[in-house]
Amino acid sequence: MNSGAWEEVGCAKLWNEWCRTTDTTHLSPAKSFCMFYHLKSNPSVVLCQCNCYVAEDQQYQWLEKVFGSCPKKNMQVMILTCRHVTDYKTSESTSSLHSPFLKALKTQNFKEPPCCPLLEQPNIVHDLPAAVLSYCQVWKIPAVLYLCYTDVMKLDLITVEAFRPILSSRSLKGLVKNIPQSTEILKKLMTTNEIQSNIYT
Amino acid sequence: MHKIGYFYTDCLVPMVGNNPYATAEENSTELCINAEVYSLPSKKLVALQLRSIFIKYKSKPFCEKLLSWVKSSNCAKVIVLSSSHSYHRNDLQLRSTPFRYLLTPIVPKSVQNRIQSLNWEEMEKSPCIPEIDDSEFCIRIPGGGITKTLYDEGCSKEIPVVVLLKFVSEGDNIPDALGLVEYLNEWLQIIKPCCDDPTASALQWKMPSSWRLLFGSGLPPALF
Repeated sequence: MNSGAWEEVGCAKLWNEWCRTTDTTHLSPAKSFCMFYHLKSNPSVVLCQCNCYVAEDQQYQWLEKVFGSCPKKNMQVMILTCRHVTDYKTSESTSSLHSPFLKALKTQNFKEPPCCPLLEQPNIVHDLPAAVLSYCQVWKIPAVLYLCYTDVMKLDLITVEAFRPILSSRSLKGLVKNIPQSTEILKKLMTTNEIQSNIYT
Repeated sequence: MHKIGYFYTDCLVPMVGNNPYATAEENSTELCINAEVYSLPSKKLVALQLRSIFIKYKSKPFCEKLLSWVKSSNCAKVIVLSSSHSYHRNDLQLRSTPFRYLLTPIVPKSVQNRIQSLNWEEMEKSPCIPEIDDSEFCIRIPGGGITKTLYDEGCSKEIPVVVLLKFVSEGDNIPDALGLVEYLNEWLQIIKPCCDDPTASALQWKMPSSWRLLFGSGLPPALF
């Protein structure tokens, strides 16, 4: 976000028990909220960086606030998220899987072929990514969710690199300057957030 | 049954996944969400499938929205397939069939007569406050989620509601689900039994792919 190509256009503030602090006045916004940026060269490209956990009873309102004011015509949504590999159900043991790996889910109106295999049943997705994808499916917005299963608890470069195939997708090809530079872009987008997972479930 | 729409609501925890009812390559990539509506026009049947739990304090608003949709759609009756904790059974219930039914007063006589002809057991009333000896008796469905609310709302708003439930324990509830749908089929005859053998007809029901790996992934060989 510091590359100068993105401009901050707004943020969604919320608080729940998962937030790290109760002091919302002195906290740097990027730490605890959902920040919205648009590309200076192409303002119709909007990026949302979610740095907080949106609780299940806040997700519907979050969607109404964010999507309510957007014109839905010609909109396309791409969601990037991570999960711990132990969440992935397969008939083999999860220790035999080569993580990180990417899986996708798409709405009916998303006609592009996804950049990786689709997420097979009985695997499902919860939380804000599921809420966004459900909204897009119901309101017939083309949307794709790319889910990276990784074996680390803190986001690292190897996990972020797993998202590389999406940079050559039709939607993003026009935005990526050139492939060698893309690692730099990915590094800059990396935050020190922990991957959302509850060790008690 | 074909998917005809969604019940988009803020009352259920969001979830998405690929089509668990896929029969071919084409429909296996269909996205499914937490509350979807399916229909079978030949049997005049519409099914609402709920795939996730209620958000705190939202179960009563959900029941109200659901029943108002049922009323505005002019449904002849609502059938609720549910369950109740088997450990709450009294001695008589322990010795009888695990299936029960409940009808709201407005359910048509023809349905009441049909159900009575099947020799089904009606859900018994139990003490409202079990710890108190002279407590009043009422219908209780422990572990039934919104079932009791739907039944009560059906009674007060004069909506024909038929509850079919099974007493179940925690764990692998797949056989319970098959049992419950067989119970429903005895009445509605959605699938005609192919022969008189009850075990054979259970095999006519297809299991969705979402029921696979109920207890998690395969085990690492290093464990043994």
